[in-house]
Amino acid sequence: MAIRAWLKERVPVSGDDLRALTNEPVPKHLKRWWFCLGGTPAYLFVVQIITGILLAFNYQPSPSTAYESVRYITEEASFGWYLRSIHKWAATFMVAAVILHQMRVFFTGGYRKPRELNWVIGMFLLLCTLMVGFTGYSLVFEQLSYWGATVGGNITESVPLIGPFLKRMMLGGDAYNERTLSRFFILHAAILPTLMVLLLVIHVAFLRLHGVTEFEDPDEKDGDSKTFNFWPDHVMTELKIGLVLMILLSALATIFPAAMGPQADPLTTPEVIKPEWFFYVTFRWLKLFPGTAAVLSMGFIVFVMFLWPFIDGFIRRRRPKSEISVYVGIVAVLVIITLTVWEALVAH
Amino acid sequence: MSSSEAEAEADRRDFLGKITTGAMAVGLLASYGTFAGYAVRYLYPAGDIRTAWLFVTRTETLDLGGSLDFKTPGGAPVVVARKGPGETAGDFLALSSTCPHLGCQVHWEAQNNQFFCPCHNGTFDANGVGTGGPPKGQELLRYALRVTDGLLYIEVPIESITIAAGLARPGHDACLGSRGTV
Repeated sequence: MAIRAWLKERVPVSGDDLRALTNEPVPKHLKRWWFCLGGTPAYLFVVQIITGILLAFNYQPSPSTAYESVRYITEEASFGWYLRSIHKWAATFMVAAVILHQMRVFFTGGYRKPRELNWVIGMFLLLCTLMVGFTGYSLVFEQLSYWGATVGGNITESVPLIGPFLKRMMLGGDAYNERTLSRFFILHAAILPTLMVLLLVIHVAFLRLHGVTEFEDPDEKDGDSKTFNFWPDHVMTELKIGLVLMILLSALATIFPAAMGPQADPLTTPEVIKPEWFFYVTFRWLKLFPGTAAVLSMGFIVFVMFLWPFIDGFIRRRRPKSEISVYVGIVAVLVIITLTVWEALVAH
Repeated sequence: MSSSEAEAEADRRDFLGKITTGAMAVGLLASYGTFAGYAVRYLYPAGDIRTAWLFVTRTETLDLGGSLDFKTPGGAPVVVARKGPGETAGDFLALSSTCPHLGCQVHWEAQNNQFFCPCHNGTFDANGVGTGGPPKGQELLRYALRVTDGLLYIEVPIESITIAAGLARPGHDACLGSRGTV
């Protein structure tokens, strides 16, 4: 008791305060796993931070050492292969979960008034996730890493007005050079994760301020409680998902461990080269349209995605029954799937 | 002190208080702004790509329509061809192997008589003019050439990245590759 009293004096937070902070009633529909897709990338983000910090102990970000250090992690360091494979698979899952979470929010209209700004924060988180994925596979210094960074730099350059400046800032020079990898490493391991933590705090704060969107549940009987407790019920759901993810990640890391591609060769672009799957859409888009047109159109699409809650709100103020967002969403999903599968199936 | 004097004193204090707070705010913003400016300047890479003029060949050794492969000190392949009978830089052509679309390396496909870029399916004819894919209409970059006393020189970047030991980094001696035609 003495210790408890001592602690209570120094940490003046009561159990009631903690309960009030954590025990917000959660709508019943959150018992379904697909409504927990927002917690899934957050969980995976923690996995990435832990495995990433461990990998950084042995990673050396310079062209002359990067590939060898990744080889050391993969082939020599005890359980290095496991940590790197978990990091790689968790990245894949994280991107997939973020996209699915965004689709769920989109199709259930969870972005509508008054939650528009949280959608915008979510869009920033999506872009950060994609950038952290891009800078991540650039660090391995495989062929894909080098050419991905080169192409990424030149895409940046084709942005009107500020493109050349951004490219030089990104690569640390006019082209890929000795200082490029350390820039990518700082972005991947420090700047983007810090930014993501800040954005996540705002994202969750908005969620708590507005509460989770409530839906009418057709299976619900009259008199049923519409909510359940965050602690311990919802935390248990998240923990179950966490357990399933850990089993899945470990299984995939063991069966399909992260391999080493050929070392970067600035003089030879491989005959067949593809980015990670989550950039297949962009990659195919760049093949379909000339440089600046492709970049500007992609920028425009991202811009519309950012503003969609306001565009949708504008439409619904004029036509309250409009479900145009559903059709826009279906077309967008079909385009994404078509371009991704197309790119996956062909060599060029 | 009369009440009006006290009021004037209070007004003066209030005014001076606001002025000093404003000045401090401006000073603080200016110092943060200066710091941010310095940080951006620090992050912005200093200097451009360093280049140098390197000897390629004696002009007489290159026949009209003929070409040779040249490698920059960084190892990037360059095709140098003669397109005119004269002895000026305009009679020669030096094509970069870097795709003007997004910077991948093109390679020569003899069977199709074209350069091909594997990144986004760009194609170029033997003169480096884009014929298909996203870079259609663009051209492969041409390096600057100079002829002095019958000697052909090329201006190329001299910096290259150091990759793990074992990968050959050609120097000037290995610059001249085998003769070929484009």
